[in-house]
Amino acid sequence: MGTHAKLSRRLGAFAVFLFLMVAVLGFRLVDFQVVRAAEIQEQSLETRKITQTMSSLRGDILDSSGQVLAKTVFRYDVNVAPKRVGPVFQTIDGVRTERSVDEIAMDLSQLLGIDYGELILKLEGDSEYSNLAKTVNAEIFNAIRDMNVPWVFFDQFEDRLYPMGAVAGNVLGFVGSDGTPLAGLERQYNTCLAGIDGQETYERSAEGVRIPSSNRTAQPTENGGALNLTIDANLQFFAQQVLADTVNNLSAEWASAIVLDVETGKILAAAEAPTVDPNDPAAVEGADRGSRIFQAAFEPGSIMKALSAAMVLDTGTADEFDTVTAPDRMQLDFDNEYIKDSFSHEDFTLSLAGVLRYSSNTGMTNFASQIDRKVRHDYLQKFGFGSVSPLMFEGESSGILHPVAEWDEMTNLVTTFGQGISVTSLQMAYAYQAIANGGVRLDPLLVESCLNEDGTVAYAPTQHATRVVSTASANLDLELMEKVVEFGGVGKTAAIPGYRVAGKTGTAELKDGSGYGEEYAISFYGIAPAEDPKFVVGITIYKPEGVSNSSKATPPFKAIMQQALKHYRIPPSTTESRSVPSNKYGEVDEND
Amino acid sequence: MSVYMVSEKDAKKLKPSLMAGLIFVLGIVAVLIGQISLNMVLTQDAYQLRSLTIEKRNLATDVQIIQEEVSSLSSPQNLADAANMLGMVANPASVMIDIDNDKIFGEPAPARADGSEVASANLVANSALGTVSEFSMATVASGELEVSVETANLASSGLVLQSGLIPASPTR
Repeated sequence: MGTHAKLSRRLGAFAVFLFLMVAVLGFRLVDFQVVRAAEIQEQSLETRKITQTMSSLRGDILDSSGQVLAKTVFRYDVNVAPKRVGPVFQTIDGVRTERSVDEIAMDLSQLLGIDYGELILKLEGDSEYSNLAKTVNAEIFNAIRDMNVPWVFFDQFEDRLYPMGAVAGNVLGFVGSDGTPLAGLERQYNTCLAGIDGQETYERSAEGVRIPSSNRTAQPTENGGALNLTIDANLQFFAQQVLADTVNNLSAEWASAIVLDVETGKILAAAEAPTVDPNDPAAVEGADRGSRIFQAAFEPGSIMKALSAAMVLDTGTADEFDTVTAPDRMQLDFDNEYIKDSFSHEDFTLSLAGVLRYSSNTGMTNFASQIDRKVRHDYLQKFGFGSVSPLMFEGESSGILHPVAEWDEMTNLVTTFGQGISVTSLQMAYAYQAIANGGVRLDPLLVESCLNEDGTVAYAPTQHATRVVSTASANLDLELMEKVVEFGGVGKTAAIPGYRVAGKTGTAELKDGSGYGEEYAISFYGIAPAEDPKFVVGITIYKPEGVSNSSKATPPFKAIMQQALKHYRIPPSTTESRSVPSNKYGEVDEND
Repeated sequence: MSVYMVSEKDAKKLKPSLMAGLIFVLGIVAVLIGQISLNMVLTQDAYQLRSLTIEKRNLATDVQIIQEEVSSLSSPQNLADAANMLGMVANPASVMIDIDNDKIFGEPAPARADGSEVASANLVANSALGTVSEFSMATVASGELEVSVETANLASSGLVLQSGLIPASPTR
């Protein structure tokens, strides 16, 4: 075989080998680039892709003027890696300095308020994690971060801050340490307040550096909405101050004050004492962490008489001049039962205004018992008793209004002056709002709206109006209630100079087993200015020590109503009240 | 496939030129330099982005600190305590003046620190209070304050109201 032939054969073999190699590589190329392209690309992306969750912020809760009642802030847990603890070298102004572990520990113990010896123990060991302090604020976090200690690291988390503390704490509710809403509006309106966490992916290079423009938002972060309340934080604080003082002075179990805007049904203040500071709910008893205005039902007693009087007028059973005989004790013709007034007196001849002025149980019974019990029951329902309000506040009580078929003879009579029925402070306030608003009861409002982050309305409550009594009856009832404040023994102390005030006292004996004991719930519910009502203020003081009449309920009423009138710049009344028969002889009082 | 045998002279002619090789190598170098430059720019952007993100986060933390301070200072609890420290006393006996009709509604009465149904100092809990108003001799001249309160009391005790009329100003 010649050299040429040998060379040609080798070259031929090489060409075949080359062709095979190209074929194999081509095959692999097609396999990688076409057949398994998507799969390989995905595998590659998996190694580069980082997915991170972007926490959404829980929305604020604001009062009627935009003051923040609840907001989300960041808090920090401060941790160290004991394994890496050592002196820190820093170059300040070109000078390399060393900070010893002791020096750093001293600074940390001062910033965190931890005993130095205790802190040093936490720095010892061979682990990668040791917690130094939990829930430190941003100021301390900043100070520690600025120390630039490489073995100190932080866990950031969201926390709820209530800048005004216990102001409206009873209605705001609170959240748990993990951010779960546990009570009040925080829980009821969680759908509005809670945001939706976002998810973002990005790619990073082999060196671990984030590749710009590789960001992909899988789920956009949606922060929670802002919950706007009808509560006026300034008035609420004032009312809570007054109630705290009242509860202290009277050693009462609790007290509540509600302020309603007559024309809108908005709750401007729902104050209680004692109450909860949502920043630290564990500081008070469990019973004080809710809102008694919505949740506690009690027998209202004589404050109910103003509503019974409205029924008497609306049904045409009597007018302002009609009178009844009102003995201090009235024997009933069944079961040897009797009804008596709160004080001994000769037989009075009382008009409806007189019944309110003297708060006569017998007089009210004689007027209102002329109305069919079914009709009265219907009125009570229209006033809003026996059912929860449209607010649906969590744990809200419906009170107790028995079906009329279950009313025995005694219940039929005593409901006219507020026994045999239980109500919440809220229910009584909006029943008075109906009288103040020309007989039309408006659904109470506590939440004005929930606004999304972009300002669009996510939720706004719908409000219904219910006509309970005629405008004429309501207005006349208001005039009768004015006589309580003008001439009533206790009622007079609720008078506010410059304003016409209508109201009614209530001293409800509290049930003690099967009968009534020596403890009371005292109340005053009032409306001002009577000629053009703007506010209803309802005060209830539960179990004040050694108090058996409502004289202690009028000073807080007066203070809060006066503050509301002043705060909202309501001009003083320019008219006098009309003369209406109200004395014990069924005549116009000589001073009227 | 054909293989040709050429003379040494012809083979030299077929030798690739140096220039072409140089252009080829330079081309490769240029591409590599371009790639490195692009990589550097991208990486630099990434570091800048990270630095700006950190700055933004730090500023947000500063904003939160300041907002918490403002919230604490403007909370009604702090204002009530501050007013109390300044010697201010809530006066429930507010008086309305009807300018049109020259009438005064209500009984003007000096505020009393005790026995009032309106508490002066804060009674409403707030464990979120951090920064609170502080008064030192530098910010409040307490000596002068006492004098001025006393003067105010003297002035109010000298106020004489006649049949509800607004008292005439002595400067009028």
